Amino acid sequence: MAELIALYVLGAVAAFAVVRVIVERNTGRKLPYLNVMNFAIAGSLVLLLQHPLSLAAAAAYFVGSTLEANAIASTYAGVATR
Amino acid sequence: MNGVFILGLAILIIGAVSVTFARPKTYLARLINLEIPGWGLLLIMLAYDEGLALLTFVAVTAIATFVIVRVMEWRDAA
Amino acid sequence: MIGVMQIVFGFVALAGAISAAVQRDPFGKLISLGILVGGVVPFIVDRGYLDIAVAVSLIAPITTIFILMATRRAEQ
Repeated sequence: MAELIALYVLGAVAAFAVVRVIVERNTGRKLPYLNVMNFAIAGSLVLLLQHPLSLAAAAAYFVGSTLEANAIASTYAGVATR
Repeated sequence: MNGVFILGLAILIIGAVSVTFARPKTYLARLINLEIPGWGLLLIMLAYDEGLALLTFVAVTAIATFVIVRVMEWRDAA
Repeated sequence: MIGVMQIVFGFVALAGAISAAVQRDPFGKLISLGILVGGVVPFIVDRGYLDIAVAVSLIAPITTIFILMATRRAEQ
């Protein structure tokens, strides 16, 4: 029951972050909320399925999504300062 | 019917319409929109439990995107 | 999956798809594509394909980085 409450909290955080990303107009201010959504999804991947390999899937998603957000931010900074 | 199948079908239709009528009519916007129906098709493959097809489709999509990006760069340089 | 979470992740995926189709800025499109991936991966994990979820979560950023190469060239 306790992990069900944690799953609902993570889902609410993910939905809130998605709404904030879509409503926001400035690209630089979208990226922190994209990170919030990525962390919430990576946390909920662990709680979805009772399996030992579930932790590896969550770790892989965490690494991949953080790399993606950092690549977007780096390229955006390089284009915007020019 | 299955919820995953309906969601994949909706994303596939949204992506196909957005690729056909891309708002900035540039190659870049059309290439980014081309990623959307790929994920919809992935969900439809998931609804039919085709695991190996899903893995192969994602890998081939990445390679095809790389080839298209290189072709766009060659076209700009020429 | 629990029905409520299926609705939440379905909303995340659908919102990412619609937002990526509507946006005009290339960086906004790529951010919305990240939201779409975040909505699709929990469905793969819930079906039990954990190895495929690992592969998909590692290949999706590589595709984004390939598109960023073209975006940097186009934005100059």
